[in-house]
Amino acid sequence: MINPTVSMLAVLLVSVSTVLIAINGLRLSRTTGDFYVASRTVRPWWNASAIGGEYLSAASFLGIAGLIVISGQDGLWFPIGYTAGYLMLLLFVAAPLRRSRAYTIPDFAQIRLGSIKLRRLTSFLVVVICWLYIVPQLHGAALTLGISTGLPGWLGSALVMGIVCVTVLAGGMRSITFVQAFQYWLKLAALAIPTVFLLLHLGLSGESATLGGAVFDTGTEPGASRGLYYNISLLVALLFGTLGLPHVLVRFYTNPDGPSARKTTAIVLGLLSLFYLFPTVLGILGRAYTPELASNGNADATVLLLPSRILGGMAGDAVTAIIIGGAFAAFLSTSSGLVVSLAGTISQDLFGGTVRGFRISAVIATVVPLGLALGTSSLALAGAIGSVFAFTACTICPLLLLGIWWRGLTVAGAISGMLTGALGCGFALFAATLVPNQPDSLHDLLAQPAAWCVPLAFLVMVLVSRFSRHRAPARVDAVMARLHVPEAVNDSLS
Amino acid sequence: MTPEGPVTPDPLARPSADPPQDPFRLPAPTGARVRVSAPAGGTPRLPRSSSHDPVDTFYVRSLIRSQLRLAASVALGFLLLLVGLAVMVFTWPQINDIRFLTIPLPWWLLGLGVYPLILLCAFLFNHAAARNEAKYRSIVR
Repeated sequence: MINPTVSMLAVLLVSVSTVLIAINGLRLSRTTGDFYVASRTVRPWWNASAIGGEYLSAASFLGIAGLIVISGQDGLWFPIGYTAGYLMLLLFVAAPLRRSRAYTIPDFAQIRLGSIKLRRLTSFLVVVICWLYIVPQLHGAALTLGISTGLPGWLGSALVMGIVCVTVLAGGMRSITFVQAFQYWLKLAALAIPTVFLLLHLGLSGESATLGGAVFDTGTEPGASRGLYYNISLLVALLFGTLGLPHVLVRFYTNPDGPSARKTTAIVLGLLSLFYLFPTVLGILGRAYTPELASNGNADATVLLLPSRILGGMAGDAVTAIIIGGAFAAFLSTSSGLVVSLAGTISQDLFGGTVRGFRISAVIATVVPLGLALGTSSLALAGAIGSVFAFTACTICPLLLLGIWWRGLTVAGAISGMLTGALGCGFALFAATLVPNQPDSLHDLLAQPAAWCVPLAFLVMVLVSRFSRHRAPARVDAVMARLHVPEAVNDSLS
Repeated sequence: MTPEGPVTPDPLARPSADPPQDPFRLPAPTGARVRVSAPAGGTPRLPRSSSHDPVDTFYVRSLIRSQLRLAASVALGFLLLLVGLAVMVFTWPQINDIRFLTIPLPWWLLGLGVYPLILLCAFLFNHAAARNEAKYRSIVR
């Protein structure tokens, strides 16, 4: 159905160009600083493209269309959550976090509360989140390679992790910034061009892209929807999970100051809004032309299979190749962003932040999730990522929000709140696999824990902080001033 | 930048002497290539502290309050709208019979309409936040 030779060529092309750009970066990056954070030639537009490139993962590229095929209208909440999460980040986190001059989330925890114990816990959670986030990317790679070339899927996972390891080892973060920015536009084009092609083809041949509206009739009858609780809890997870994504926060460090961090975030919102139009349209097309995928468990392959189904022949092969290239760009960029922030966190905490430490950490950061991915089977991509967002929303999000906005936060409060969130969310997600899957049941409560677990984590953090008020960190005024006072004044004060 | 090896674990300790060049001092945002680096040794420190003048502290607190009020009201407004949308679609399934170009209204709203709203919120917030900061600057000077 899909021409394996053309697909393999597309995968090779993206892989080789990614490695080439990274090696090019090697010539330019020589110091520790280069390895950690990109040089600040980065203007807001450029930086925003890089953030977009990093953020748009397998879940966005393949998962959303698949979800729309499976659950119809409910699937639309995913891209809304992914985008609106950035709005929350803009409102509550962007400028203060940039001003904190923290490079990673553990750095922020330490600057704000001055506790090594808290730093360790935060680092541990960041590492867990990154690993969990990389695994679905690798599952996506396995699926794409398996469907498009017929090769065994594990090869796809290994290929992605191998390339990420090489690029990160070669150039560190510096080259990654170029790669990421390039990959946003690559991913956008890789969905936009096929979408336009397919719509044009359908339009010219007089077929209706929505089968005269019939595609919307299934999945809207009562019982097909996941229910109100499910959607709202998902929304909470995505909105507040984005705040705490480690690989996204690192990127804010490359903004020169608070206002430019805000400007960058606003541009990211525009880029994401533009991007998500296309998976949505492809999902609708999928409901019309590949409806069988909804029931055979391969819905994530919708975007890959559509062109050959609608166009067929040479044109279908060419368009499929574009999509496969974009999909690999998605796996590569998100995974490398995660590996960079993971390696940064591990090496700062274990190796004192040397270049050698960063390299060792990068290898650790790639090998573990690869093992996890090979040892587990693929879930629905968008759903798996949703669980990671829920976990982040229950742990890192309360720390950031209360740390930035509430003077009363204490070390004891932060630690107990994060532990509550982590254990509660982890337990719920684990228990959800044991309970029968029915809409509007206990299963939903466990599978989408954000709606109760996030408030719980906040509550515990606030209450424990209240009770340990006498142990509030000294100099909280100085730290709060650093987070919130605009730059020009801040510099003259310090 | 050479790593310093294990660094004293207290990030809030003040440096004993003023460093010749403040490692946290940010260069001006020009187009020229400037290297940005992670804090040496992995443990970030606070730079020399802001003044402990109670009047300053008061102004900073009121700045924080006004920024928080702004962020929270934009977030609340947006979230109410979003939850309202979810509730409306859930409790009133007949809305799917309202169609433009064969596509039901909820698909238009959720697939397209929400995004300009998000951008509008971002735009308004950025302006208002910058205004709060400008106000603070003019008071402090």
